[in-house]
Amino acid sequence: MKAIIGLGMVLGLLMILPAIQYALAAGDEPGEYLDRRVEIWGLFYRLMIVAFTVGTVVSGMIVWLVLRFRESNPKANPTSYEESGTW
Amino acid sequence: MSGHSSWPEWVYIGVVVALLCYVGAEAWNIERIVEHVPADAEIIKVTGQQWLWTFEHEDGTKEIGELHLEKGKAYKFEITSKDVIHSFNIHDYVVLLDAVPGRVNTVWFSPTEAGEYDIQCREYCGLIHYNMRGTLIVEDKGA
Repeated sequence: MKAIIGLGMVLGLLMILPAIQYALAAGDEPGEYLDRRVEIWGLFYRLMIVAFTVGTVVSGMIVWLVLRFRESNPKANPTSYEESGTW
Repeated sequence: MSGHSSWPEWVYIGVVVALLCYVGAEAWNIERIVEHVPADAEIIKVTGQQWLWTFEHEDGTKEIGELHLEKGKAYKFEITSKDVIHSFNIHDYVVLLDAVPGRVNTVWFSPTEAGEYDIQCREYCGLIHYNMRGTLIVEDKGA
């Protein structure tokens, strides 16, 4: 478990640090010619990929939870509360 | 809930935090890059007023409702307003910035294709807001 969390943190840092470094460096360099349309729409599409990925994962998990833990699921087991009848 | 394994929750939290960091860093990065003006950019003073746009070039030339620019050259707009808040927009070049009385906002871009493009106000500014338009005319070098 700890190894997975550690690996996740390292991978996260490896992703974030270059972006921060690149962003900070941009303030010191002379401005370069660029096409705003390409940069801004590119950013938009990348963020849309993230948004739809998160949306798919979250809604997929909700659908799975609802189906898996419905009372009529053959695999459903009563909870300890349901078994004892006390709440 | 003793004995309950929590690793899926940690993975879930880790993925969400990583994605949020990515979104924030990427947006910040692009914003900084896009806002960084090239040293040789020509300054155009843009003034919004009900209900027209006025442009003043570095050499003092003024244009009303029309803006002539050269393809491939960088232009920095210094945008302000004489009366109420307007918003200067060249949709085709993703230029959009508020024109605020008493304040100068700046944005830069470099037109990449010759042609005519719409300039419009994007902040409701009164009765004729819908018609507060202009034309950006991008010309080839030396034309």
